[in-house]
Amino acid sequence: MDFDFTEDQNMLRDLAREFLTEQVSVAHIREMMEDETGYDKDLYRRFLGLGLIPFPEEYGGAGFGMVESCIIMEEMGRIPYPGPFFGTVILAGQAIIQSGDENAMSRYLPDMANGDLVVSLAFLEDSASWTPATITATATKDGNGYKLNGTKRFVPWGAQADVLLVAARTGEASGPDGISLFAVQANSDGVEATPETMLDLNSRTATVKFSDASAELIGEEGNAWAGLDRAIQRAAVAASAEMLGAARRAHEMSVDYAKVRRQFGQVIGQFQAIKHKLAEMLEQVENAHSAAYYAAWALDADAPDATLAASVAKSTANEASRHVCGEAIQVHGGIGFTWEYDLHFYWKRAKHQEVFYGDSDYHRERVLQEVLAGNVAR
Amino acid sequence: MDLRYSQEDIEFRQKVRAWFEENLPKKKIESFEERREWHRKLYDAGFIGMGWPKEYGGQEARPMEQAIVGEEMARVNAPAGVNGLGISIVGPTLIHHGTDAQKDEHLKKLLTGEEIWCQLYSEPNSGSDLASLQCRADIDGDNFIINGQKIWTSGAHNSEWGLMLARTDRRASKHNGISCIMVKMDDPGVEVRPLKQISGSSEFSEVFFSDVAVPADNLIGELNTGWRIAQTTLSYERGGNTLSRVSRLQTTLDRLLEVAGELRVDGTRAIDDPRIRQKIGQIYSEVEVLRYASLRLLSKLEKGERPGPEASVSKLHYSELDKRAQEIIQEILGPYGQQISGAGEYAFDESDVPYGEADTWAYQFVWSRAGTIYAGSSQIQKNIIGERVLGLPKEIRADRIELEERRKEEAAADD
Ligand SMILES: Cc1cc2nc3c(=O)[nH]c(=O)nc-3n(C[C@H](O)[C@H](O)[C@H](O)COP(=O)(O)OP(=O)(O)OC[C@H]3O[C@@H](n4cnc5c(N)ncnc54)[C@H](O)[C@@H]3O)c2cc1C
Repeated sequence: MDFDFTEDQNMLRDLAREFLTEQVSVAHIREMMEDETGYDKDLYRRFLGLGLIPFPEEYGGAGFGMVESCIIMEEMGRIPYPGPFFGTVILAGQAIIQSGDENAMSRYLPDMANGDLVVSLAFLEDSASWTPATITATATKDGNGYKLNGTKRFVPWGAQADVLLVAARTGEASGPDGISLFAVQANSDGVEATPETMLDLNSRTATVKFSDASAELIGEEGNAWAGLDRAIQRAAVAASAEMLGAARRAHEMSVDYAKVRRQFGQVIGQFQAIKHKLAEMLEQVENAHSAAYYAAWALDADAPDATLAASVAKSTANEASRHVCGEAIQVHGGIGFTWEYDLHFYWKRAKHQEVFYGDSDYHRERVLQEVLAGNVAR
Repeated sequence: MDLRYSQEDIEFRQKVRAWFEENLPKKKIESFEERREWHRKLYDAGFIGMGWPKEYGGQEARPMEQAIVGEEMARVNAPAGVNGLGISIVGPTLIHHGTDAQKDEHLKKLLTGEEIWCQLYSEPNSGSDLASLQCRADIDGDNFIINGQKIWTSGAHNSEWGLMLARTDRRASKHNGISCIMVKMDDPGVEVRPLKQISGSSEFSEVFFSDVAVPADNLIGELNTGWRIAQTTLSYERGGNTLSRVSRLQTTLDRLLEVAGELRVDGTRAIDDPRIRQKIGQIYSEVEVLRYASLRLLSKLEKGERPGPEASVSKLHYSELDKRAQEIIQEILGPYGQQISGAGEYAFDESDVPYGEADTWAYQFVWSRAGTIYAGSSQIQKNIIGERVLGLPKEIRADRIELEERRKEEAAADD
């Protein structure tokens, strides 16, 4: 039983932190908010160049598991990094890896690892729900390929992606059966991406409309749900780590501020109302840490409670980061409400990730289902 | 990171589980003497004082082995042993600060349950601010003469001995005039008056001392160093064995799921109601997080790291979580959760199952209010976290201002 990181994992964290703190300045983050593309391609490539990529080694990755992915995402949450790393490497990467389709892996993963390809997963539709029943996009056979129709919502970096992975129906069934995964070249005919501006200006999304777009099947027809579910679970856990990083950073800033801001002749951290708030925030941050890394380990170890743990992690990180990043603003007072002060970055990144890959209601329901099915650690 | 149990741990758990299957009392423990017998059985099996040095009757077991026994006991709802405070507070105090004679006299008896101890710290006017205590122990030849009152003393009515903090120097500043003394509870002048708790039972008492003569040899450590001694052992209390709390909560949730599968609300089973599903999913998640956090703490203990003030984060977490969990359980069960007797098919316990203290939903609910008060209230824990973990400045307090002024006066007088 060892809950501490290995020496290699600590080195990985140091490397990621050093690069991100040195290269992704506050000025850069602010510049990217106004930028049309929303990220710096060169910087993105240089980060990937560090080789911290959780793909299998034969496809250009470092063979990392979820624990390593979470370490990287936690560090990105502390910045918070503006760019398609999560969407491409974690979300789309896992969608391809979990599909089990080796052709697709060798075709896409190496180029995703070196930054040539930005790929995203187009899953959500109008109801913005992560359950399989909500998928209504359809794909019909057309020669060797397929023609895809439907509208996908909130596709991460959907307007910047070169390739879109799309969940669509190939059969009549309405639940998890009959869902297939397709790859669509973003620049092909019948693909129309409309970028949208979100609360977190550094997390870009798009609505993508497919009208008879040419699509290529990944994995088996009609059998994509199990792999997609695994990929979304992994995205949920990695997002939990990103939210943890944001919350930890917001908490640190608040503690620092409470030690210097003076009112009524004393620093505000001397007031119990502030001190106790900061203590509660620490408890929540530590709980989010325990939950995110337990889940990451459980997924890597294929533990019987891995799905349960993933849902516990996401609902815990959702609540913790929402509370901690929000209270951080309260601790700062007026300055915390200004655009110039960096605190709102964390609050908005956390809020962004909170609603994706399952909100708290979704994951609490999932927890109960897993418990009733006996998929627990005992 | 590797959160698997080692082969050694797995085998140990199997042994422990088998022992409890074989030895669990078949009928409900009724009297204190029956509980003492059960305790003796646990001791003989090697499950009491597991972390203690062998020379004092312990097992020198690893923290993981202790946690496994705690978990397995909770899993089968095994009755608790006796002398909880003696073993968790008095024992370590004697091991660290006692003389050889004191250790020889008490440690073994304390473990086996021959000597039951209570903790005589809190007073009516000194709770969180324990260092302000007023109960006096005046030196008179070879004796201390004790006068004053203690309160909230758990188990006082069953105890042979008490570990007391008393004022031995009334001129020193409040932390510096306290000593740690062993007191025999049947000495002349000691009077125990049980207090009825909100649970309806009397597990704690107030204790009055009138000219009680106690041999000076009963002093633990040096005179007037009692505060420092108490600090070392209070942190034992806070470290706590959180995994057994997790098991206990899981046992509770297992039963809640059973009940929710039968209980009907608005024409459907409770378990099919989406609002109730959310609530159960919520507590279940919180209990899982407590389990993960406990494993994280345990992994540190296994490496020989002793949690410092961070233990306060753990205490705050489990005690507040217990309150939230019990509130939600009550919400789900409605009036069934409040039944104390006459409970039928939705009761917490099933009468043919042996059990310990927590035998009704209502009893568990009531007890959840205690954990955030004793062993340092939640507010005190937050002060500790704020000041000693996060490094925020200490709050401005009247007693500190007073102390400051006194120091200035003394300095002026010296000039
Ligand atoms: C079930 C139970 C068993 C117990 N068993 C024992 C025992 O065996 N032996 C023993 O010696 N004692 C025992 N106690 C007593 C326990 O240690 C005290 O109740 C505890 O220290 C709190 O003290 P108090 O009750 O005087 O409350 P107070 O200290 O008066 O606290 C009242 C309220 O004020 C708050 N407060 C106090 N100081 C501060 C501060 N600085 N900042 C912010 N808020 C503050 C507290 O958090 C609390 O909410 C037991 C208590 C309970 C409930």
